[in-house]
Amino acid sequence: MNSEPPPTPSPQPYRAGADIGGTFTDLLVVHRETGEFYIGKGLTTPEDPSLAVEAILRQVLADAGLSAGELRHLIHGTTLVTNAMIERKGARTALLTTQGFRDSIEIGRETRYDLYDLMLEQPKPLVPRYLRFEVPQRTLQDGTTHTELDAESVERLGRELAANGIEAVAVTFLHSFTNPAAEREAAEILRRVAPGLRVSISSDVVPEIREFERASTTLANVYVQDLVETYLRQLERRLLALDFAGGFYLMLSSGGIATVDTAVRYPVRLLESGPAAGALAAQAYGLAAGHEDLISFDMGGTTAKICVIDKGEPSIAHEFEVGRVYRFAKGSGLPIKLPVIELIEIGTGGGSIARVDSLGLLKTGPDSAGAVPGPVCYGGGGTEPTITDANLILGYLDPDYFLGGTMSLDLDGAQRAVRDKIAEPLGVSLEEAAWGIHQIANENMANAARVHALERGKDPRRFPLFAFGGAGPVHAYRIALSLGSPRLLAPLGAGVMSTVGFLTAPLAFDFVRSWVTELEDIDWQKVNDLFAEMESQGQVLLAESGLAGAEITHRRQVDMRYVGQGHEIRVGLGAGRLDATSGKELRTRFEKVYRELYERPGPPVAVEILGWRVASSGPTPRIRLRVEAESTDEATLEEARKGTRRAYFPEAGAYVDTAVYDRYRLSPGMCFPGPAIVEERESTVVLGPEARCEIDRDHNLVVRMPKAGR
Amino acid sequence: MPALNPIALEVLWNRLLSVANEQQTTLIRTAFSTIVRESLDLACGVFDTRGQMIGQSLTGTPGHINPMATGAVHFLEAYPPEVLEPGDVLVTNDPWQTAGQVNDFTVMTPVFRDSTIVAYFANCCHSPDIGGRILSAQAREVFEEGLRVPITRLFHRGEPNEELFKILRANVRTPAETVGDLYAQTSSNAVGARSLLQMMDEFGLETLDPLADEIIHRSEQALRNALEDIPNGRYEHEVWSDGFEEPLKLKVAVTVEARDIHIDFAGSSPQSQRGINVVLNYTKGYASFAVKAVISPEVPHNEGSFRPVHITAPKGSILNCQEPAAVASRHLVGHFLPGLIFGALAPAIPDRILAGGADPAWMSIWRATWPKTQKPANFTLFQLGGMGARPTKDGLSTTGFPSGVGGVPAEILETQAPIFQRRRELRTDSGGAGKFRGGLGQATDFAHVGEGSWSVSAMVDRTQFAAHGLLGAQPGALGELELDGETAAPKTVLWMDEKAVVSMNLPGGGGYGDPLEREPELVLRDVIHGYVSIGAARESYGVVITYQGSPSQIVRLPHHYRLDRPATAQLRQARRHRHP
Repeated sequence: MNSEPPPTPSPQPYRAGADIGGTFTDLLVVHRETGEFYIGKGLTTPEDPSLAVEAILRQVLADAGLSAGELRHLIHGTTLVTNAMIERKGARTALLTTQGFRDSIEIGRETRYDLYDLMLEQPKPLVPRYLRFEVPQRTLQDGTTHTELDAESVERLGRELAANGIEAVAVTFLHSFTNPAAEREAAEILRRVAPGLRVSISSDVVPEIREFERASTTLANVYVQDLVETYLRQLERRLLALDFAGGFYLMLSSGGIATVDTAVRYPVRLLESGPAAGALAAQAYGLAAGHEDLISFDMGGTTAKICVIDKGEPSIAHEFEVGRVYRFAKGSGLPIKLPVIELIEIGTGGGSIARVDSLGLLKTGPDSAGAVPGPVCYGGGGTEPTITDANLILGYLDPDYFLGGTMSLDLDGAQRAVRDKIAEPLGVSLEEAAWGIHQIANENMANAARVHALERGKDPRRFPLFAFGGAGPVHAYRIALSLGSPRLLAPLGAGVMSTVGFLTAPLAFDFVRSWVTELEDIDWQKVNDLFAEMESQGQVLLAESGLAGAEITHRRQVDMRYVGQGHEIRVGLGAGRLDATSGKELRTRFEKVYRELYERPGPPVAVEILGWRVASSGPTPRIRLRVEAESTDEATLEEARKGTRRAYFPEAGAYVDTAVYDRYRLSPGMCFPGPAIVEERESTVVLGPEARCEIDRDHNLVVRMPKAGR
Repeated sequence: MPALNPIALEVLWNRLLSVANEQQTTLIRTAFSTIVRESLDLACGVFDTRGQMIGQSLTGTPGHINPMATGAVHFLEAYPPEVLEPGDVLVTNDPWQTAGQVNDFTVMTPVFRDSTIVAYFANCCHSPDIGGRILSAQAREVFEEGLRVPITRLFHRGEPNEELFKILRANVRTPAETVGDLYAQTSSNAVGARSLLQMMDEFGLETLDPLADEIIHRSEQALRNALEDIPNGRYEHEVWSDGFEEPLKLKVAVTVEARDIHIDFAGSSPQSQRGINVVLNYTKGYASFAVKAVISPEVPHNEGSFRPVHITAPKGSILNCQEPAAVASRHLVGHFLPGLIFGALAPAIPDRILAGGADPAWMSIWRATWPKTQKPANFTLFQLGGMGARPTKDGLSTTGFPSGVGGVPAEILETQAPIFQRRRELRTDSGGAGKFRGGLGQATDFAHVGEGSWSVSAMVDRTQFAAHGLLGAQPGALGELELDGETAAPKTVLWMDEKAVVSMNLPGGGGYGDPLEREPELVLRDVIHGYVSIGAARESYGVVITYQGSPSQIVRLPHHYRLDRPATAQLRQARRHRHP
């Protein structure tokens, strides 16, 4: 991945990233070598989202004096798929299962995700029971056929579905991950008798054991497929009309990127691609700044998202949930069994409401004032004190420079709400109450980050914190302190981090083969063949995408566990031919990873391998945003200083005069101590008294943290 | 230690709970048996130096959490701090000291900071086999039910107690899983300890005990405050369980007196000759769970939750059995207790409780031989019926309550044992009719793959006494255990020939409120979804619905059904008249 292509002048020197969010569509165009960049932002056009992309792209290109022909790649991610699932706006979808199992997706796991709450709700399946159908068919655990597929009833059903306006069907038969023949046959029949019907089969979308999770994932795939295909084809046409001749790719939930054809076939893989890109941006900035390990922290209006990046790689989970119906609780959403950049999302954002609970303790979130009515200080009719209100009271936000001064904030209202609802019931002062809200929000986020890191066996005290999102930089210093982070990094342009992330991902394809074998009995010839086959597939696909052979690397991993366990851990493997001596080394590596994670060795039993993986990728693009226009090397720190503001710091136990800096006038090499506030248009960095800050060559604000302990 | 203002306390408390969650995650990730990793029949908790539980993980099952919490003191008595060394790990499955059956192993680990014990971590989970009889209710004495391990070192200074492991391996049918789970339990505590020590370093805590006192005190006060919302008085109720040879009566008197609650089970049946007896520790576990869930679900669970709750049961009764009573299937009786207590409290706080539910989790132990390899398989399956309806919502279908265990995917079951699940579907009409409907049970059928005989021991209940409805609602459907279509004997080992088919149809939950008051549109929705049949809509709800599509069509959409409003109004009127 270090083999950069030789610097030949390219007719397509620019790359573009586009992120479609629920409210805004963001666009970023960057020169591949110089880092000069252009940003566009506009309202999302929900009825045809490609409209906004085209309009904003045109605008940005026009402003920059560029043509679409100068773009080498356009990489795109979106929350459309997630939103379609949450808002239930997908196709009219049916489910076809093995006889006797149409209710698997409703019966679910049969557990309660909260032990004590008698009023909890289970997530509703995407397909109601009256659209779930059974067909005589049965495959056994070893892949043998117990009952042949009743083709006739599939035919009948297909015709009736089409006649009744059903648009999509997911086929999920038991044990199809071992033998997909019956699912394939059913799909063929359905396509034949009902050509307009979209069909996804579980052995194609997610060939893994556990019928509930597999069905849930397959359903999601076919449920959003029409929406995604319509939209992507439209966008393709619009891009062609602009004379865009570069590669058009989609970001996946795993952080990889894929062609439009792959995205249309497996649209469920586009879920969470926006947040994934934020984590990738953190990864890229971290690597550029010399930090392989990071905790990325993205805080917006309603939630915060946290991701661990370890040795330059974000952690990947193999299952996640969409649309949690109960306070973001694990278990209250629809399971999706696919690789995803593992983020934890918690209900703490600027709009989270603070309250005193039945134990007389102060709590924040997950209830949120949202955008409407919003925090009390927005003056939109909100009456419940929020984290943003507390931040305003503490002097962290400038009532007259919110969103670059386009909105003013009501300090009196915020003070009244915090005094009445928090300070008085707790018997503490206004500052203590506001500080308490701020601190508890920080602790909630820090705890989430800590559990997330520790669940992976990572020590958060080794990891610098990378903060972005509208509210992230306000809280980042305290979270870094609580986690014991050695450094805090706050990048310039926190508001467009996702689009940056799209452009930092290498072209990559992942391959996996299931083959269960005990370490002792491995046929190493077969292993070598498996790896060779996957690697050559990767080689071909990447070459087709325009990469030269030397740019392509392959990484091998295996999924291992003690024989009898139900969960695997992933162990890395070097390149080259494997032989009988490799078994011993693999066992040693496995035991080391196991012990790091779980603190103790496992029992004295055999070890097995279940999955064999290859990740083939091209070089990692370098991206560096440069802000020549607004900061010049001649500017001094004094000129960057806008003035001072009274802000509360617990170290002083009082409000103190705090320096306020203009982010756009700070240039590389400048140093200043805390306490300090650094303002840019969409976010504010708040730094405590013990912070030592420096602007690095990439315009990141880098903070050396004081040592933890209190 | 800094003074604990509400804000500092919240910070530390949250951290402690996240440590316990990490402990649970590790247990699930490293477990061998499907009982732990799929069905989550487990509990994890952190304890102070006096053996008081100060935090538990998010899920788990009350039958493990609470007996583990109240059982910790026995470990401290058997192995006081001065005899423990870093790397020591203790274990027991003593039914009377911990979770009420020999299959449940509790593993407890002291946490050393420098050379002082600052806390303990414990977890408890159900072992797939512990020798003796195959788990059933057939034993007459606990000695028949398997190997009993008194509080012993499982690891000493980090080294396995090989003598104990040797004995264990020789006595159980599933040595790899039974021993593997004990290793998982040890890892789970070790990861908890690692994180707790990090927390203590970070906050400069020399000891946890002042924090523990504050947590326990606050929780106790919160529970006591919540008790003030219940009108003082004595509330009685009784329910019946199938029992073994004859039905069992479970009787309770709940007395609310200002800030205390007394729960007395006097009048319940005497202890049984067979293995359905409940030790007092387990009785307390489910009774205190019920109080907490109904009164203050939002308060974290710990030692403080037990203090205002005073639980008694006569010695020698089914709910306070004495040695050497057989106890293997105690959950079949213990799981009735929350519903029993809710029934008693119904007149006092009708707007806060559930109707009766399926209650006992159905647990079945399957044994069979793999056709190709001739290897024996031994599989424990959990299944859950419907929960009772709630004052403002329908009951949840196929969801465990009061236990927190989960079911098992057919694909996992079939991979682990030569068993062929023929169906697993919601049971139409099994939810008790009411203004809010009870949750549905499930209908399941099992057959054998291959040749030769196989067996099942089905620990099931509610085949004779249905889950009660509340405030004019109807009960849920009874459970059914059938062998080749004939009613079979629950709680015993059934040996079957290769062609046999076992049907297990789980009970539904009771309804809440008068079914004639249920919105007709909701009944229509239930009919469209097949939760309720057209016949039952008419019979139980007085709602007249007709299907207007063709009888032969498979795809039946909402518009194929018609709700006849005038006929419904008329029918409901007539019904009300009949039962004023």
